[in-house]
Amino acid sequence: MRRPQKSCPFCETRVRFIDYKDDRTLGRFLTDTGKILPSRLSGVCARHQRQLATAIKRGRYLALIPYIRGHQA
Amino acid sequence: MPRQYEAVYILDSTLEDTAIQEKLSRLHALLGAGESVTVDHWGRRQLAYPIGRRENGYYAVARFEAEPAVLPEFERALKLDEGVVRYLVTLHEHEVGAPPMSEEEVAAGRSRGADDDDDED
Repeated sequence: MRRPQKSCPFCETRVRFIDYKDDRTLGRFLTDTGKILPSRLSGVCARHQRQLATAIKRGRYLALIPYIRGHQA
Repeated sequence: MPRQYEAVYILDSTLEDTAIQEKLSRLHALLGAGESVTVDHWGRRQLAYPIGRRENGYYAVARFEAEPAVLPEFERALKLDEGVVRYLVTLHEHEVGAPPMSEEEVAAGRSRGADDDDDED
């Protein structure tokens, strides 16, 4: 049984390039632990998912979003 | 050929604002870009995770046009500077003046995406 295809939130808002400095948007595509949310769950298209992955990695390096969430040393 | 770059700096948040201004203008002088550097100061904000013992950093975003040949020297200066906690220089070319995606492009992406559907569990 195929689920209906979710539409890509970036395509819907006509985003051409995902900004790695926009931590609010990037945060929406992270799991509770801070992993990158798979496109199968978020509905992001392949093109934007690739951009998103790069943007998240840059955002992590710049300490805008965490590498791991919910871990207290 | 000069290219468009964007640099994000995380500076030591204990520095005075004037010291930060002075430091940035000194670094940007290495680019040979003159007045074409636009700096956006985000100011002090909390880091998403501690870097060393720091919990806060002063963020500044700079856009500039520079020859690729001057970047190694520029990055060397950034690395040596104790006041710079972290920095990231990225190409900013494709984002300049890019209009939002047109209806046709979105439609084209959709029809392409329909075939390579990933196997769902």
